[in-house]
Amino acid sequence: MPEPNKWRSEVRVFYEKTGMAKYISHLDTVHLFTRAIKRAKIPIWFTEGYNPHAFLTFAMPLSLGVESYCETVDIRLMQDEDLEELAVRLDNALPPDIHISKISAPRFSPQEIAWADYKIIFNCAEKNLSLYMNDILSGSEITVVKKVKQGRKKVEKEVDIKDKILRYIIASENGNTVLNITLSSGAQNNINPSLVINKIAEGSGIDADRASIIKLKSYTAEMLEWE
Amino acid sequence: MVKKEVEPLLNKVQKPARYTGGELNSVVKDKNSVKLRYAFCFPDSYEIGMSHLGLKILYSLVNARDDAWCERVFAPWNDMEKLMRENGVKLYGLESGDPLCDFDLIGFTMQYELSYTNVLNMLDLGSVPVLKKDRKSLTPIVVAGGPCVCNAEPITDFIDIVLPGEGEEVTNELIDLLIEHKEKGSSRLDFLRQAAKIDGVYIPEFYDVQYNGDGTVKEYKNLETAPKTVKKRIVSDLNNAHYPEKFVVPFIETVQDRTIGEVFRGCIRGCRFCQAGFIYRPIREKSADTIDRQCHLISDATGYEEVSLCSLSTSDYSQIETLIQKLFKWALPEKINVALPSLRVDNFSDELLNELKKIRRSGLTFAPEAGTQRLRDAINKNVTEEDVIRTASMAWSGGWSSIKLYFMMGLPTETMDDIKGIADLSQKVLDIYYQNPERQKGKTPSVSVSCASFVPKPFTPFQWEPQDTPESLTEKQKHLLSSVHSRKISVSYHESKTSVLEGVLARGDRRLGKVIYKAWQKGSKFDSWDEFFNFENWLEAFDECGLTPEFYANRIRNYDEIFPWDVMDYGIRKDFLIEENKKAHKSETTPNCRVKCSACGANKLNGGKCDARTK
Ligand code: SF4
Repeated sequence: MPEPNKWRSEVRVFYEKTGMAKYISHLDTVHLFTRAIKRAKIPIWFTEGYNPHAFLTFAMPLSLGVESYCETVDIRLMQDEDLEELAVRLDNALPPDIHISKISAPRFSPQEIAWADYKIIFNCAEKNLSLYMNDILSGSEITVVKKVKQGRKKVEKEVDIKDKILRYIIASENGNTVLNITLSSGAQNNINPSLVINKIAEGSGIDADRASIIKLKSYTAEMLEWE
Repeated sequence: MVKKEVEPLLNKVQKPARYTGGELNSVVKDKNSVKLRYAFCFPDSYEIGMSHLGLKILYSLVNARDDAWCERVFAPWNDMEKLMRENGVKLYGLESGDPLCDFDLIGFTMQYELSYTNVLNMLDLGSVPVLKKDRKSLTPIVVAGGPCVCNAEPITDFIDIVLPGEGEEVTNELIDLLIEHKEKGSSRLDFLRQAAKIDGVYIPEFYDVQYNGDGTVKEYKNLETAPKTVKKRIVSDLNNAHYPEKFVVPFIETVQDRTIGEVFRGCIRGCRFCQAGFIYRPIREKSADTIDRQCHLISDATGYEEVSLCSLSTSDYSQIETLIQKLFKWALPEKINVALPSLRVDNFSDELLNELKKIRRSGLTFAPEAGTQRLRDAINKNVTEEDVIRTASMAWSGGWSSIKLYFMMGLPTETMDDIKGIADLSQKVLDIYYQNPERQKGKTPSVSVSCASFVPKPFTPFQWEPQDTPESLTEKQKHLLSSVHSRKISVSYHESKTSVLEGVLARGDRRLGKVIYKAWQKGSKFDSWDEFFNFENWLEAFDECGLTPEFYANRIRNYDEIFPWDVMDYGIRKDFLIEENKKAHKSETTPNCRVKCSACGANKLNGGKCDARTK
């Protein structure tokens, strides 16, 4: 364990990853932040040992192709900083589609994430799609095919995710069908929204790859905004 | 910037960030405010192309002009290509998203022969007629540069203008001229006539080629305004040459994610098999201060965690120790690694090794290239067995536990004894580990031997030599395997069929244009990738054109044969190359350029100056 007195404070960087930045994988996002912090000359704590590296903790990996307004990375500062000024500096060192919304002290730990809001846009306004979606989501059981680990292998398994969906609203916006949905989130019980999309796609014949997914907010189990 | 029609494809492909643009430090301009649009095309994947220093230099150089905008174009991977073709999406510049056919200048860098089919494929995907005879309007003009264009003849059916040598100055001159002709509304021919008058500009269609009955070249006749031979361009003063202050930082991992400092051009060694060692002469060094300043700027602008130095043989740089000290001064406190690639075994000093030890402890690589002293002398690789053993011993005691040795097979004058020599030398390198009291205890040493097939290239002393046949190479590989007696030595070698094609294209003539075109039509692309390479396609294409690979690869050429690349002047005298060839057959060495100038002739490109001689 690193000794805590080696850095001054741990802060949480909140950022948005939208537009073309959704095509940056999680691992590449880690590299991207490491370099941006270096460019912005923010003195952060490095791990010790043979090959020291910048110490960054991302709350949750974001799937490729998903936009998000609620991403975070925790960093350890070596000296006291004006957090507002720091946010501007880091923002300037990032590509346009990644934007820092604020930097503040963490309130909850990443383990406390329990739910997340998503907005899923299907570029298709067919009435039947809304009805079909509603049928599926209001059913007493929602079985999807999920890849789960079994020993060393990953196998496909049918699971019921009914209790992993907290709430949903179906609307139509500018000729699109929009699903706002709150799904179980976090390290343990994470439900990838693509599972829901695939379920809808498989019955309705729409192209799952054409749906856009936007992550909006994370919550604790008590439905407090996770910060 | 990605156009609407591309977006839906991105969710369906691997590594979509290859196709989005928008990376940090990429340059976006208003297309209506520039007079010329330049597409820098790298005929391979994004990851390989983005690691190429030449691209970074030209991208920055063209974009430094207010009147031009340079964008990047790479070969899409086949998943993306398939979707693009299915959906009618044209290959586009990453910065604007505009199709290739909208650009004025389309520049390809030819780094290896096996990327030729990708050039055709990229033009086709970008809606640019693949054959130059089908391109009638002034723009787009398709340009090619890079090491392979020292013999551009096989690709002349597809390329309008070839730029031998270094591109920094001539690119600007060509851009100026094309802007002028666009404004005047000139014809394509008028423009090419003027372009041919610029030094270092080769316009293939202004040369008429006659062949002898046996298929060799009879003569090249220059037409129009074209000179008899085209002299390659060089940059005389590297300290004042353009160098980027920032690199575009890719979103995905590429082959080289680091700051690169270029230290010098040319090579003092004169290894007879190495084309780069001859075509980049004369030697021109950058000052340590310049390199240090350039590296620091790029580091600041990219946030890269590593700096590496780039040249053909970095440890031959005359101020290497000074430079490393300078770099360490800022890099260490900023927690940035300093890496030194391509070290040579014979000047690997203890101090250098110690500095390196502080930084990295991955595998170490050396290239003795041949297994016996006789053959090393023949290829002028001035490394002795003692050098190799001494360096290996230093490396083992320095804490390394694996050493990689690079060799070549199929070298001129090679016998089975030389092949066995590879195994013997590797065994000695391994044995010295156990004789070393300072070795890392508790680790198992490993020596990996990597064998490439030798390919004779233009402008080298071996340009007259027949290439070894795949059958003979297979025999040699078997012999090598049976000569290795330790499980701690692993042997790998490269597919010899790709080397055949590489050799054919390297020393080919204009008639190969048809073969390349046919192979591409049969689906050949990404030929340097094993998973794509299809030798059958190529053999069929040769057959249909009435040509054979053997004529180009395995034939012994006479000293008086006229070569297709004789139309290019790379400064190196043919007499010098003939002398070197004769010495090779007698296993006589030539001292390196710092010990003694061998009057290769390249210094005349630089007003008689060569930094290896004045130092
Ligand atoms: S001019 Fe002399 S020193 Fe310079 S590269 Fe040629 S042989 Fe070497």
